[in-house]
Amino acid sequence: MSYYLRKLAFYLVALWAALTLDFFILRLLPGNPVDVLLAKLAQRGGAPDPSVRRAYELLLGTHSDEPLWSQYVSYLDRLRHGDLGVSVSVFPAKVSDVIAQALPWTLVLVGIATLLSFVLGVGLGVIVGWKRGTWLDALVPGTTVLAAVPYFWLALLLAALLAGALGWFPLLGGYDVALDPGWNADFIGSAVYHGTLPALTIVVSSVGGWLLGMRNMMVSTGSEDYVLTAQAKGLRDGRVMLRYAARNAVLPSVAGFAISLGFVVSGSIVTEQVFAYPGIGSKLLQAVQNNDYALMQGIFLIITVAVLGANLVIDLLYGLIDARTRARA
Amino acid sequence: MTNLSPETTTGAPILTPVRRGRISGLRAVLPTWSPRLGVGLGLVAVIALFGIFGPLFVGDPDAIRDAGLAPPGHGHLLGLTQTGQDVFAQLAYATRGSLQIGLIVGVLATVLSAFFGVIGAYAGGAVDEVFSLFSNIMLVIPGLPLVIVIAGFVPPESRGAWTVALVLASTGWAASARVLRAQTLSLRNRDYVAAARVAGEKRWRVITVEILPNLLPLLASQFVFAVIAAILSEAGLSFLGLGASNSSTLGTMLYFAQNGFALQRDAWWWFVPPGLIIALFGCGLSLINFSIDEIINPKLRVAGRRRRAERPETREVAEVEDDVVLSVDHLDVVYRTATPVHAVKDVSFTLRRGEILGLAGESGCGKTTLAYAINRLHRPPAEVTAGAVVLHDRDGSDIDVPALEREELRAFRWDRLSMVFQGAMNALNPVTTVRSQLDDVLTTHRPDLPKAQRKAKCEEVLRLVGVDPARLGSYPHELSGGMRQRVMIAMALLLDPQVMIMDEPTTALDVVVQRGILKQILRLRDEFGIAVVLITHDLPLLLEIADRIAVMKDGEIVEFAAAERVYRSPSHPYTRTLLASFPSLTGERGAFLRDQALADGGVR
Repeated sequence: MSYYLRKLAFYLVALWAALTLDFFILRLLPGNPVDVLLAKLAQRGGAPDPSVRRAYELLLGTHSDEPLWSQYVSYLDRLRHGDLGVSVSVFPAKVSDVIAQALPWTLVLVGIATLLSFVLGVGLGVIVGWKRGTWLDALVPGTTVLAAVPYFWLALLLAALLAGALGWFPLLGGYDVALDPGWNADFIGSAVYHGTLPALTIVVSSVGGWLLGMRNMMVSTGSEDYVLTAQAKGLRDGRVMLRYAARNAVLPSVAGFAISLGFVVSGSIVTEQVFAYPGIGSKLLQAVQNNDYALMQGIFLIITVAVLGANLVIDLLYGLIDARTRARA
Repeated sequence: MTNLSPETTTGAPILTPVRRGRISGLRAVLPTWSPRLGVGLGLVAVIALFGIFGPLFVGDPDAIRDAGLAPPGHGHLLGLTQTGQDVFAQLAYATRGSLQIGLIVGVLATVLSAFFGVIGAYAGGAVDEVFSLFSNIMLVIPGLPLVIVIAGFVPPESRGAWTVALVLASTGWAASARVLRAQTLSLRNRDYVAAARVAGEKRWRVITVEILPNLLPLLASQFVFAVIAAILSEAGLSFLGLGASNSSTLGTMLYFAQNGFALQRDAWWWFVPPGLIIALFGCGLSLINFSIDEIINPKLRVAGRRRRAERPETREVAEVEDDVVLSVDHLDVVYRTATPVHAVKDVSFTLRRGEILGLAGESGCGKTTLAYAINRLHRPPAEVTAGAVVLHDRDGSDIDVPALEREELRAFRWDRLSMVFQGAMNALNPVTTVRSQLDDVLTTHRPDLPKAQRKAKCEEVLRLVGVDPARLGSYPHELSGGMRQRVMIAMALLLDPQVMIMDEPTTALDVVVQRGILKQILRLRDEFGIAVVLITHDLPLLLEIADRIAVMKDGEIVEFAAAERVYRSPSHPYTRTLLASFPSLTGERGAFLRDQALADGGVR
């Protein structure tokens, strides 16, 4: 089987596992959550008509005479149509709409911040690892302190300092609420301005890990024979560092980048909580606090699919940058 | 010199196998003392003691006083919270709570990862496939959202510390299982494990006696990571209001501080200390992990001093004979380690144009160090302390190699003196094509050469060594060992160098390929007049093809004469021992000395 087919097969299995996990978590709920939900809905002025009740019973698998497997099949069937149910906390909005509205915020903020952090950390790691034995080594213990600090604590302190005391950045939110969301310069400018501080906190707290990992790999590859050969060949130091040492040393970091995406999403939940950012993470928390099971399920699903998709892309990319991977499969 | 396992590039750390002796094994597992380790242990110990014994000495953390948000002082070391509770007392209990969770999760996650990583990799086959698939799936399913969803489903009243710990452990073991699996796979194929299996040791015994001790440093490091991750995740979860109920951890403290607007009210004494304790504890653990990493990957340990080596003292250069291309005079190389090793002692020799000079000696005698020092490729802690290396250029000028400036040295390398390294398996860059590795020599040294001519030159040298030019597009792993060595030789020919140093060019190749390559070397010498320094431990081979032979022992050249004379009347007893140790074709040890068959003929 070719490398790419194997990878694709793996992600299909992983996706199936995630969907199944999602299905069963909801079925493990204690008590009778449907009644709780309907009561909540009625409080909010929602009409508890039988179809809504039926939808929840399907979702949660309670009071249902259907056997489990047929519930499972209809669950998968609903997913196939992109039907994630109706949200309780923002009734009567559909879960898919709630997610569609929140997702871009998270993707842009966390995506850019993570990429920045990766590029910065790996770049610095290349230099620190290559120039080993110089003053740059002093950076290494510093990175461990950063890596051990609880993210939200650091973010709140930075926010208190940069947004509170100095007033350089807005403290909360994703954009100036006086503006109408849309593709105009004012709004985009405001969104960038609001996103800078959260992005900064993500970069500050995660750059150390990339730096350390890359530095250690650079130290290891630095003593490889092909690096020595490159030096014996009389190549320029910069070329030996990038083309020979870093080109090989970066491979684990790229693989690590894929793995870290899961943590990135996790981190974004906390980020969004700290900065009251209108992304998918704050929606998830909102769903948890309001027992909005459908929204929870939907968001977990979207996050999982996004992480799996990104992993797949990186795996395919990895096959491109390391020819041996393709051969081994 | 440095034969690395291919794991380096696939991310798994390299572990030096622990010797089987119990005592040396134990010593190898313990980190060496360093200031870093001291600081790390100190931080961890102080915080752990505070968590264990602190609660015994502080008052009731929940006692409410009517002086809300009082700053530090007045009998309260760290001031009071919004509701008048003593922050220091809370801190002691919270530290205990966080440490407990960290420890429980650390142990659980390590056990899970060891189970899925080690057992799977050891068992192999279907078990490995299933375990590895399971770990990989757990790895790509994002942890915290899952934890939040699970925590959201479990009602707060039944969400105790154990529940949170279980959830954190079950979502946090997968990455470490993958690392352990990679390491176990590589250990499993080591000779001593294979030997134990062949000897019929029971499976559990092989795992516990042969494999686990070697995994210990890695397990320890994964455990430390798991503890840090658990404390941080628990803090995050508590901060989101989803932590264990009725428990007091640093995370819940921060949650209350944040909800009491501690920062907005400038009550830093309430908000800063819990985070600081987490940070310091994590930092201490990371510092300990540094020391463990140095056991796992010894390369990180050797401090790479990069001070500019002083100019070695030059000794009187002997009168140059005619037609000499390289002269080495009184060269000394010392490894400046704790106990300095004098690896090359007062070595002098000359190399004539078109000559094949054999450098023989057993492993560790300093052959390779000498070769590197000639081209100044030696790295710290190796240092050239004395001696001269002069290349007498075709155009009549003399190049004093140790005196070359950085850029001059760079331009000198490969252009005048090229090298073929021991073990071509690792000498080629695994991630770029043969073409790019040949081409960058030309783009660097001959920047004016047009692309078409560069291509023609690359093809020409490949043809010279008998490799199909179509192989230019191949990656090193697509070539056989012999072909890789030929590519290396082709690369060394690119710039028509005057000297070529070949370090064990044919070891690890089978005899037929070996012969072919030696034939090539002789042909190159005849056609281009390249002078070759051929380093090998194989004295009979040198007797066949070398013009003169230098025999090295403990860093010194003990015999330096024409091949014929070394063979017929070796002057040094070591040379005689060396010659006597090779069996002749008839198989009798020592018979080689009397056997005349190989004297002429050679490989031509």
